[in-house]
Order: sequence, then C-alpha cells, then structure tokens
Amino acid sequence: MGQAAGLSKLLRKIRWEMDAFSWSQLIIVLASFTAFLIVPLGLVIVRSFYSSSGGFSLYWLQTILTDPFYFPLRLKLLNQFPFISLEGIRGSLYEVVKYQTASGEETIVLLTGWDMGVIPNSLVVATFTTLFSTVLGFTLAFIFAKYKFPGSEALRIVSLIPLLSTPFVGAIGLKKMIVADGVLNVLFYDMLHLLPFKIEITGLPAVILVQTLLFYPIVMLNSYTALISVDPTLEEQAINMGASGFRLFRTVTLPLATPGIEAGALLVFILSLEDLGTPIVFKGTTAEKVLTFQIFNRIFTPAGLISQEATTLAMILLVISGLVFVGVRRYVSLKKYAMLSKGGTWRPKRKKLSPAVTLLVYLFILGVLFFATLPHIGVTLLAFAKQWGPTLLPSSFTLDNFIAVLSDREASRCIMNSLVYSSIATLFMVVLGVSAAYLVSRKKSLPGIEALDLLVTIPIAVPGIAVATGLFLTYLGTPLSPTISGAPLLIASYTVRKIPFTVRSVFSGLEQTDKTLDEVAWTVGASKTRTFFSIVMPMILLNVLAGGMLSFIYSMSEVSTGIVVGDANHRDAPMTWKMYDMLFHGLAGGTFQPAALGFLLMTLQFIFIVGANLLLRKRATALIGV
Amino acid sequence: MVSIRTVNLTKVFGDVVAVDHVSLEIRHGEFFTLLGPSGCGKTTFLRTIAGLEMADEGRIYFDDQDITDMPAHLRGTGMVFQNYALWPHMNVFDNIAYGLKIRKVPKEEIRRRVKEVLKLVKLEGMENRTPHQLSGGQQQRVALARALVINPRVLLFDEPLSNLDAKLRIEMRAELRRLQRELGITAIYVTHDQEEAMSISDRIAVMNKGRIMQIGTPKEIYKNPRNEFVARFIGQGTFIPGEVVSSGEELEVRLESGKVVKAVPSHPDVRLEAGDKALIMIRPESFTLEPGRGYNEFEVEVYHISFLGDSQMLQASNEVENFIIEVDPDLEISVGQKLKVYAPPKHTLAIKL
Repeated sequence: MGQAAGLSKLLRKIRWEMDAFSWSQLIIVLASFTAFLIVPLGLVIVRSFYSSSGGFSLYWLQTILTDPFYFPLRLKLLNQFPFISLEGIRGSLYEVVKYQTASGEETIVLLTGWDMGVIPNSLVVATFTTLFSTVLGFTLAFIFAKYKFPGSEALRIVSLIPLLSTPFVGAIGLKKMIVADGVLNVLFYDMLHLLPFKIEITGLPAVILVQTLLFYPIVMLNSYTALISVDPTLEEQAINMGASGFRLFRTVTLPLATPGIEAGALLVFILSLEDLGTPIVFKGTTAEKVLTFQIFNRIFTPAGLISQEATTLAMILLVISGLVFVGVRRYVSLKKYAMLSKGGTWRPKRKKLSPAVTLLVYLFILGVLFFATLPHIGVTLLAFAKQWGPTLLPSSFTLDNFIAVLSDREASRCIMNSLVYSSIATLFMVVLGVSAAYLVSRKKSLPGIEALDLLVTIPIAVPGIAVATGLFLTYLGTPLSPTISGAPLLIASYTVRKIPFTVRSVFSGLEQTDKTLDEVAWTVGASKTRTFFSIVMPMILLNVLAGGMLSFIYSMSEVSTGIVVGDANHRDAPMTWKMYDMLFHGLAGGTFQPAALGFLLMTLQFIFIVGANLLLRKRATALIGV
Repeated sequence: MVSIRTVNLTKVFGDVVAVDHVSLEIRHGEFFTLLGPSGCGKTTFLRTIAGLEMADEGRIYFDDQDITDMPAHLRGTGMVFQNYALWPHMNVFDNIAYGLKIRKVPKEEIRRRVKEVLKLVKLEGMENRTPHQLSGGQQQRVALARALVINPRVLLFDEPLSNLDAKLRIEMRAELRRLQRELGITAIYVTHDQEEAMSISDRIAVMNKGRIMQIGTPKEIYKNPRNEFVARFIGQGTFIPGEVVSSGEELEVRLESGKVVKAVPSHPDVRLEAGDKALIMIRPESFTLEPGRGYNEFEVEVYHISFLGDSQMLQASNEVENFIIEVDPDLEISVGQKLKVYAPPKHTLAIKL
C-alpha cells in the first residue's frame, strides 16, 4: 500500500517534470552514452573473462598477472633482516656511458629508471607525475595567490601555456630537448659548462618529465582557484588567534584549499595513466612498457580481430582508473571540483615581497617556465627547422616542412578528416551536452538525476584506449565498422570522450542564470519547450559556444581512438594518426614534418582556447582547467 | 476574474512539510495576502498556485475548474517575482510583449497593448531600454507590466517590494493596490512585512510552519487574533499568562501574580472555560491613564520611553509582568516614574493556550 502510493507519487512527479521535449533530451543522451560508452566498456570487461570457447574464464587475467613482462614483482621471505625482499625489478635508475670524441672522453649519464613490469610501471609513472605536478602546481599557485610582485598576472598566464598542448605534441618537442645531443645538453654542458657530464633522460623518467611539465597547470589552476576562493577573513581570524607562518599554512590555508588540490591531483593521475601519446613518442625505450602502449601495440590480432590480451589489459586499466576515481571521489567529487573552479568571489589579499625574496621568486618561476615551455619551443623550432644537429638552435630555418605536409595528399586528407569529424562530433556534443546540462541543472528534484550528471562527467576519468578497445569490440563487423569507414567510431568516440567540456561550460552558464527567468516565462504562457529555445538558449549561448569550441579542439587532438582507427583504416585516419605515422614510418623529414603538423594543431588550439575564454570573459574563470 | 480555492493543499520538501493541508478560498477580485515569517511556506503556496511546484496532496480550483495538474503555462497567471526576473537579453518592449507573442496576438495590437500597459505603470517611452539600464523601481514596474499585459486570470506577487527602499516601497504599495482595483484582477500577495500586509490587503492569511493560523481582514487579525502566534506576530502588545476562573459574557482570568482581571475571548470562535490556561493580551493603545474602577488596573514603573512623534511608547513593569503602553505624545513622563494604568475589559483579550 505505502509502496504503491510512493510509486504513484513518483510517477506523478515524473509526469509533472518531464514533458515530451525533456523526454527526448533524456533519451538521446542515454541512448548515445549507452551505445558508445556503457556497452563498449561493458564488453571490455565481459570479454576479458571469455575463454576461447566462449565460456567464463580467468585464463587471460591469470596469464597476464603471472607474466613477468606485465607483473614481475614477487615478495620473497628472507632468513635475515629485513626478512622480506621485493624481486623482479630490472635495470637501474641510471647508466653511465663513456665514449671518445675528437675533443676527448665524454660521459653521458642515461637516466633510464627501473623497469618493474607493465602494470607497476604505469602506476609508478602516474604516482610520480601526480606528485611532481602537485608540488610544482601548488607551489606556483600559492605564490601567485598570496604574493604581489610586478608582472605576477602575466607570469601566471604564461605558466598556463602547457594547457595549450596535448601530450603527444608536447612530447615531440621535449624529446629534442632532453636527448644526449639535445638542446639542454648543448646549453648546459657544451656552452655554459654547468654540468660535469651530459644527461639524457629516456624511458619512463622521460614520460614522467613530459607529463609533469604538461599536467602541472591542472593542479595549479585548481589550487589557485581554491586558494583565492578561501575567505581571507578565515586566515585573518587565525592570525588574530596567534597563528602565523608555517603553522598558519598547515592548519588553515592548506586544509581549506585541499579539495581543489585533490581534484586536480586526481585528474592528473588518471590523465597520466591513460596517456598514450607520450609513450609512443619515446617508443623503443622502457617507455613502451606501460599499459596504454601495450594495449595499443597488441590490440589487433594478425587476423584483424581484437586480441583478448589487449582487452584484458584494457579491463585492468579501466579498473585501476575506476578505483582511483571512486576512492578519491569519496573526498571530492568531480562535481564539487567543477564548482570549485567557478572562481573566487573574494578580493584576495596579497602580500608584498621584499626585493631579495622577489628575486628568488622570479628565478624560481622563470626556471619553471623555461622548462614548461620547452615542449612548445621544441615543437615550434622543429616545425621550422631545415636541419638541426647537436646545436642550440636549428642551423637553418624553412617553411618546407609545412609545404611538404600540406602537399602530402595523405596528410592533408588527415587534416581534413580531423576537421570534419571534430565538427560533426561538436554538433553532437552541443546537442547532447546542452540537453544533459539542462536536465541536470533544471530538474534537480527528479530522483536519479545525479546519475545523469555522473554519466556525462565521468568520461574525463575513462582511459581513451579502453574506450577505443570497447568501440572496436562492439562495432567491428557491423555497419559502423572502422574497416568500412573510420568516421562513425571516431565521431562517436570524440563525442562521448570530450563532451564534459561542453557540459561543464553549459552547466555553469545555467547555474548562473536564475531559474525564475524560466519560471516567469511559463507563467506568461510559454511551454517548457518554448521557454528552452526562446529564453534559456539565448541566455547561455556564449557558454554553449565556448564549450563547443573547447570540445572541438580537444577532439582535434584526441590520440587514443584516432591512432587505433587510423591503423585499421588509413584512408579515414585523423591528423593525430598521421603524426604518429610520420614519426615512425615516415620516409623523409624525421620529426620535422610531424612537428609541423603538431605546430598547426597547437596554433589552432591556442586560437580556440583564447577565443573561448574571451567569449566568456569572467563568467568562467577556470574554464580551460579541463 | 476568478475565485481560487484550495483543498488540503500540501507540499513536502524532503522532511519539511512546506505547505500543510491548507484549505482556503479567495474571492473574485480580492486582494489576498499570505503573511508569515520566512520559511513559513507562503512562497511555496504561491508557487504551487502558479504551477511552479507540484502539489503533493490536495486540489486547487480556479472557479470550478480543477487545475491541480495543469502545467504552469496554461494557468493564465501573471506573476511578479521578488528579483523581478526580467530577461537580460530582451529590452523592455520584448520582455512585456513575450506573453502576447506566444498568444499570437497581431503585431499592431501587441504594440498598442504594450504601450497601454507601460502608460499604466508610468513607464511611457521606455520600450527600448534594456533591464540593466533601469532602476530597481523601474524594473519592478516592467515586471508588473509583463504580468498585467496578458490579462491574467490571477495576479501573483512574491514579495515584490522587498528589494526597494522604504520610501519607494510605500509608494509602490499604493500603486499596486490602485492598479489591481482598477483592473479588478484577483491577486495573491506574499510578504513577511505585516505593515505592508495590513495596508494593502482585503484579507490576510497568517501562516506559520506550513499551516494557516488565521484568515481575516487586517482589522480582524489585529483586533481579534485567534491564537498566540497571530497575536504576537501582528503588532505589539502586553502578554500575561493566567488561568480562567469564570466564564460567560465576560471572563475572569487569574494572572500568575494572583490578580484577577476581566477579559473577553480574543476571537468569537475562541471558547474558554473555567480552568483553561489563557494568555491575556492588551494592545498598547488600549491602556488609559484613567484608573479608579477598581479592576483591570496595573501599577507599573516606566523603564524605557520611545518617543514616536504621534505617540510615546512606554515600556514598564510591575516586577512580575512587562507592559507596553501607548500614551499621548504631550504627556510629561520620565523613566522611573510610577503610573497606574487601566485596560478596559473589552480590549483585554484572553487567548486560548
């Protein structure tokens, strides 16, 4: 009886809130996400537990976890102190290589890092990347949020530059900087004689370095927003009660800013874990021995089917990111994270620094910025270089790389493909994203609406290579098969993976628009549908545009699905696949032509992100914060 | 014109019953006010009438038509919100014309009617202004014009004057009332300001915790409060608890000090019998300084004087009870002075506890 009454009340509530238009909005969002995210990821998990005959089996999971290539670590009990030892770690942190040159003996220290097997490697890389990004990002944010010095605002914006690049593009540039005859050694060893030996960073440490330099702005943005969002009177109160210096920082400032830092760190961990571009650039070293690369490398069986080994690896990657996401979400949800990024409403109090400290701060920031912009400087120089030997700068500059790329029929077709797919995907993202954001923002009282919110936010935390694997598992051999045309799956993948940018931008616009503005339209006679188009949409148009632009540009630079589909179907491949293809299978031009492509992508990205932020001005301070 | 009737109207938010089985009737052309402290459910009640919230229980009727499940946009209400809710992307003309465009009114007629309504709210020639070019008072008038132009069956006001400064508020109050009376539209008005409610309404419903405490004309709820909440919420008064010792035309109530006073039930519906707990309430202006009758007299010492221009408000006590007494502004009086005051039995109200 009570249950029946509750149910009929619920049905009445649903009928009250949902008109035909809302239903169609809900259904297209759910249908798209079911078809292109939930079912594919579900298949990744289910297929990992298939035996060759089709029944349930732990064969592949067991095979992978017992294979020393993937998981060599074993605990061994000893008779003496420390009684336990961890075995299976190979290699050493660094190697010293000496060789003779015309000018005498030279020493190179090769920073290679240990190899602990594919699965631990992925986790170790993600952990160190997160750690370094957090320390670096938070320190910078703290300096910019709390201290006043000439040029601080300009420097703060420059330090966000790495956001304007995908790891793939950035890694190409940075690689040229950190190899034995790269720019850093030329500068610090050959020219300034600051180093006693050459240093080459390679393998996993190189991945960590690249990712740290590319991801720290995410933590920085979040920490900065969190720090300036803290009511300054809270700190003043603490000072008033006698706290100062480090104690004040530890007991008041840091805890208040923690949710923002945690949110940024969580995102960096998952982005590091799912990054495929950087390991690919350092192909041929231990950088290969991470989950994403291994999945990518063995996704197709020789027969052109999806390998069970890769599927199981994708499942493991998916489960790890899922656990991290759920674990950290207990403290800070992505939603809360989105709110934190709305920007402070306080007028933050900034301290002035003494000249000596100012100098130190400048040195620190400029040092960080020097390294942080290396990838971009590298890509840019490579793109315009004719030749670049072991010298600081290329020996001569040229536009040939761009001419070559643009006259290469395959390359220009790939650029065209990317533009077309991303544009179509952006259309879908705008329709689906606006629908989802509208339902989540305006129908909060409907039970289960949080699930919709989660569904359209969570793609941030889903590894792209797992989505790619799932899409192949689901659609290979169907009319949507990438062997027939690459377009459907790429567009679908772009849409589900990059939609959070549109959703978040639109959602923040809706939250800043008072609901009474909708309601008053209803009272004067406009149906909910009509209100949506004539009142709501015009008011959030800028947010829709900005969100669409961001989604577009992040689609253009999507790597995981792009190169897997590209491998299966060269004709329909996107730009990112062409960069990968030129890096490793290119006949001429070495890294120059992929760098030229990367430079084009970077420029486009710069224009779009600056454009989106100009559109919104102060309406969404931290929009580019992923 | 329409009459509005609710039967057991109930709205629940989580654990909070915002509107609790409210049944009332609002007559044709009446200016009806819901008055209560913040969070009492008055705005929720209004929003349920407008169709912005779903009624969890009960029915709503416009005349004899049951509109409980009718979507908001079909109800033909005109609503004025506290924050005015003017659409920032439209100018004054488009804001007002929106409802007419939806009704597919011909262009020429739209222009004419917008012009008329702007004249009515004294904003002639402001068609092309955007909302942020207007002052608060002007925005208020545009919001009102937008609600009026569609010839609504009922006008709903959700604290429309609370964002205006005091002087403008009093001006707009009179103007709202004038317009409503001229146009003859049934109006429901929500406010927490009792003075505003008293000055504008035909009838007032005092609400507390989702329930109606009393419905009546301003005079009725002031002079004959039904219960302690209404008595304390409306106006000022001296409150003394006691117990009824004899009932009849005139009651006798023994106060805690032992003194027995003559009183009348606060409201015709209030029944008090000997032995009932009662609260004596005397309005400040009911006291006189003409004792000598031997009953209902109190000897008090003044401890605070507020000079209000047209009167003086005294706060006084007799060690057990506190009194608020209004006296002539010309009366020479000082703190510490002892007074003997008299409250006529017909103004000494006994409220049932």
